Amino acid sequence: METPTVDAFQVIADPSRRRMLDLLSHDTLTINALAQHFNISRPAVSKHVRILESGGFISIHDIGRERHCVLKKDGFDQIRDWASHFDRFWSTKLRRLENLLRNQTR
Amino acid sequence: MHRTITHRYFYPHPAETVWEYLTRPELIAQWLMENDFQPVAGHEFTFRTRPLPNFEFDGTVYCKVLDIVPLQRLVYSWKGGPGKGKINLDSVVTWTLRSVDNGTELLLEHSGLMENADIFAAMNTGWLKNITTIDQLLQTPDHGNTNR
Repeated sequence: METPTVDAFQVIADPSRRRMLDLLSHDTLTINALAQHFNISRPAVSKHVRILESGGFISIHDIGRERHCVLKKDGFDQIRDWASHFDRFWSTKLRRLENLLRNQTR
Repeated sequence: MHRTITHRYFYPHPAETVWEYLTRPELIAQWLMENDFQPVAGHEFTFRTRPLPNFEFDGTVYCKVLDIVPLQRLVYSWKGGPGKGKINLDSVVTWTLRSVDNGTELLLEHSGLMENADIFAAMNTGWLKNITTIDQLLQTPDHGNTNR
């Protein structure tokens, strides 16, 4: 059973997948070429690749007989959204603190 | 991409007042979240808010006071996750107070949010570069529209 969509953070939680993204950030690689960097079974590599794809981190292009993995922006955008969520969170809270302090009766 | 979120705020109040709002549970609750904070190093506490399923957050922040220097510095861990004890956010919040002429400067640092930030810096250029590469691959004669 495959999970249809994967959370971006689950995707990057795995060291092998982070390494794959790192490799792909330097160059587009076929699944075969990618597999050569890992001491794990070919099915395990394929599984990681599928997870990266469903998380929006890569897309797979069939060119000739080869399957090429290419980085994709969507997954990374999710991570950035999450960081900006915290940024907004603290801005809001600190402004509330400011209002509280201003209105406090002494 | 930020590894640490930083906010610097000036409050026209003495450090004692600002400190109270950072360390008294009933005052913290008024601006931050419901909590069972105690100003004691090693004290474990939680913040409670509404869940954010999109961010795999169940609404509880698990914290521990890591360092506390009255009127100057307060550090606590800030952990959260989707529930059932699973933690996927393991970060640290540091408050630093500094008395200035007519008030207090408050510095907030929330660190550890982007543990894997290094690779994301590479990504921004990486994925663009690769889109170019794939374009070139697609345009080479080998992969053109050869109708056999």
